[in-house]
Amino acid sequence: MADTNNDFKKRVRNFTFKALKATVKGILFYAIYFVLWMFLAPISEIVPGLQQMIETFVMVYIVLIIVGELTSGTIFQYFFNVAKALFVIGYLIFSLKGGIFGLTFQNVSLMVDLRVFLAIAMLLSLLGLAKSVLQAINYMSEKAEYTRI
Amino acid sequence: MRVPIRMIGIATTFFWIFLIAFFVSAVYSVKDVHFDFGGPQVSLTADNEMVFSLPVSITNRGFYNIGSFNISTEISDKEGFTITRGSTFIPVINKNDVATVTHNMTIDFNGLLQRDQNYLLNDTELKIYEAVSMRIADVIPVQASTNFSMPWGAPLYNFSLAEPAYAPYNLTHFRVTVPISFENHAFFDLVGDMQIRMYNSTGARVGRARTSLEGYANSPYKGFIEFYVSMTGTTPTGRFEVYFSTSVFDYGPLVIHYG
Repeated sequence: MADTNNDFKKRVRNFTFKALKATVKGILFYAIYFVLWMFLAPISEIVPGLQQMIETFVMVYIVLIIVGELTSGTIFQYFFNVAKALFVIGYLIFSLKGGIFGLTFQNVSLMVDLRVFLAIAMLLSLLGLAKSVLQAINYMSEKAEYTRI
Repeated sequence: MRVPIRMIGIATTFFWIFLIAFFVSAVYSVKDVHFDFGGPQVSLTADNEMVFSLPVSITNRGFYNIGSFNISTEISDKEGFTITRGSTFIPVINKNDVATVTHNMTIDFNGLLQRDQNYLLNDTELKIYEAVSMRIADVIPVQASTNFSMPWGAPLYNFSLAEPAYAPYNLTHFRVTVPISFENHAFFDLVGDMQIRMYNSTGARVGRARTSLEGYANSPYKGFIEFYVSMTGTTPTGRFEVYFSTSVFDYGPLVIHYG
């Protein structure tokens, strides 16, 4: 009876710690976005929908951070890390329209070639994806070793 | 395996921070780049070509240099025929530096009239394509372009020669007076000479004369030209051939029938 009670308390403590860690990470990520946005704000007046685009990205990314953190210690953490990396790749490709970003403001057409930026971001995201896959393999192999022992 | 994974994580984080910081600072520094376009000026070359000059001043107060700065202008007519194009290139505009250039475009008006004399006699519209491109921080290519129309005012709009008035000069010759009228809708003054040759109905030249022209920009012109013709060669119908020789263009013959 006492063992069950202790186990429950341990789980609650563990979950509370994970939730706290996830909250701190989420707030930190949002704070970074908030600071960076101050620099990008003048451009948002020229580029319609820029704020919405970045906010959507930040929201989804924070959700994935929180869920990934809550599932830490399980294989699902790595699934969410992979999802995060894939989401970054997909979102960058779709939002930057393949790297050639164009918009028309009154009679003026503006074209920004972000292909170099996109290529580097893709490579870094793929590196993140590879890291998550390696972490998942490592987790499974360590688990298998413990089970055998 | 944990150490290599951690190293990948550290390297990825470092590069992400570097990439985002660079991108945000590059975008942010665009707001500190200012363009000042001066008033356009028109001048004439020794070859009687018109040169449009537009002084441009670029002030770069951003964090990074601007590379491959280019201004391109293309002027075409309604059918899409390119009349002229001009390009001005600055390889690098350093940060905290001001670059001043003059964007020039040359129009060979004589060549233009060889293609279409309507530019001389009728108002029309010209299409202008303007593009400004640069590499922000020497890495991110940006191009802004626009299309607009500009009215073209004909220098000899509504040019006409009225019916010639004949007055006896002596026993063998008439003194012919031909009234001339047109409106100079062009942005330049029309200063030069006009030569008229009068042909009778058989195609024989019966007289000719030269007069000076002074048609100021956006002003009507009314004048006349006088010359003497032989009484025997004169017919009630015929044609005038008009030749213009001005500081901007030489053109002729412009054929106008009379009678």
